[in-house]
Amino acid sequence: MQPYELSVTEAAEAIRARRLSPVELVDSVLDRIERVEPHLHAYVAVTAEQARSSARAAEREAADGSFRGPLHGIPMGLKDLIDAAGTATTASSRVRSGHRAETDSTVAAGLAAAGAVLVGKTHTHEFAYGLITPQTHNAWDRSRVAGGSSGGSAVAVAAGAAGFALGTDTGGSIRVPAALNGVVGLKPTYGLVPRHGVTALSWSLDHVGPLTRTVEDAALVLPALAGHDPRDPASLVTYPADQRPPRGTDLTGVRVGVPRNYYFDHVTADVETAVRRAIDRLEDLGARLVEIEIPMTRYIRATQWGLMVPEATAYHERTLRTVPDRYTEDVRLLLEAGELLPAGDYLRAQRARTMMQQAWRGLFDEVDVIAAPTVPTVAVPAGQDTITWPDGTVESVSDAYVRLSAPANLTGVPSLSVPVGHDRAGLPIGMQLLGPPLGEFELLRVGHAYEQSEPARALAPVA
Amino acid sequence: MSHPLTDLAPPEAARWAAHAGLPLPADRHAAVAATAQHIHAVVSVLRELDFADTPPAASYRAGEGKSDAAV
Repeated sequence: MQPYELSVTEAAEAIRARRLSPVELVDSVLDRIERVEPHLHAYVAVTAEQARSSARAAEREAADGSFRGPLHGIPMGLKDLIDAAGTATTASSRVRSGHRAETDSTVAAGLAAAGAVLVGKTHTHEFAYGLITPQTHNAWDRSRVAGGSSGGSAVAVAAGAAGFALGTDTGGSIRVPAALNGVVGLKPTYGLVPRHGVTALSWSLDHVGPLTRTVEDAALVLPALAGHDPRDPASLVTYPADQRPPRGTDLTGVRVGVPRNYYFDHVTADVETAVRRAIDRLEDLGARLVEIEIPMTRYIRATQWGLMVPEATAYHERTLRTVPDRYTEDVRLLLEAGELLPAGDYLRAQRARTMMQQAWRGLFDEVDVIAAPTVPTVAVPAGQDTITWPDGTVESVSDAYVRLSAPANLTGVPSLSVPVGHDRAGLPIGMQLLGPPLGEFELLRVGHAYEQSEPARALAPVA
Repeated sequence: MSHPLTDLAPPEAARWAAHAGLPLPADRHAAVAATAQHIHAVVSVLRELDFADTPPAASYRAGEGKSDAAV
């Protein structure tokens, strides 16, 4: 086994026991990047020299017996919306040509303090305004989309080209590519992870979180990200705690909500089968399944659009007027059309969000977590714009990918996407676990119990 | 409550955009009108809701009372 194949948990144990040096690990991941990048295009930029220097510093500390924690010497990628001092934050856009971040974002600073080593900036759908990440190829089938907008982060982690990576999630942009590439993605509670220094798409809906190979790895990364930062007005006053889930798979007493509406509508047979099998596994582990009704589903898409469209247009107001030609056509069109949405529509969406949050609060009186598909279908072939469901309904790929993820953005509840197998063509399928606000520990516990009951997952078969 | 939608003609979209301070080149009027119409169709469903006294959700807070929580 090569060092790049290790999960964060395994690598951390090996580094702590001095069986593996951060230099060996970072070199191994940089070699892996060189080998797979020509096929995948997950990275905007690879910071090899800086990474090797950071790895040597981490190695010197380890030799002195000084360890910063489980991320000490672990190679990571940052979605290229996240500022890291001295590097460009391109947002995968020509609009940002010549950009250079002067200081670290809060999350980059937290990870650096925890000893993580930045190996590169990963591709996003331009300014995170899309669900495809067209520059990047799916880690399991290069002819298919990576998903987005954190497509580069998901593909890098799936291929062993990063130990873990960060993404952002406004309507599913961490969880969608995580599901489509067979890795774990965690969208934390709104406000748990500060967004200072992270390019916004929609302030009401944006979240930052980790993409990892295992649930246990996500639990190791989260404490380095969480914590109060007054520079993000949504930031909660929290006390980062050890989120590591217990070993063992006993879920006795856990109430798992299974939606009878919305989440299994217009879902492919392979996705439904895999997710229901995973839910049955949770029951086998001791959980009690409870059928639930998801409230206000008719208004989910309208509320998502009513918030995101005008907020994105507001963020880009200046550059849409000065350098409109530098945007890609799909993003430019949405930004321009957003200028035409009245304030009344935006306010209705904000009020609908309040109602939805209140309605969802009641759900978690009945259950501890909700289990559902992350996305209704696997990764589609690149260039495919629509999905036709068996009843004749035609849905855009973007709408389909956002549909099951958006409720967690609107309500702010945490959502964890966990791989639960593959379809008949070998493409990954994800299940999301949703919990009450600040219910991350329970999600990680249930997700980790599930993954321990399954054989260890292999890296995507690239190169 | 019904919410009839009217078609948004390209010149009208151009006028609205200009009113918002975004002059659009002529070759973009039709595409922007179509996209704006689509967004309007999606979002206007919210007009069915009776919001009563429901306030908008907001990310601003003065002081930090209720945000205090341990995880």
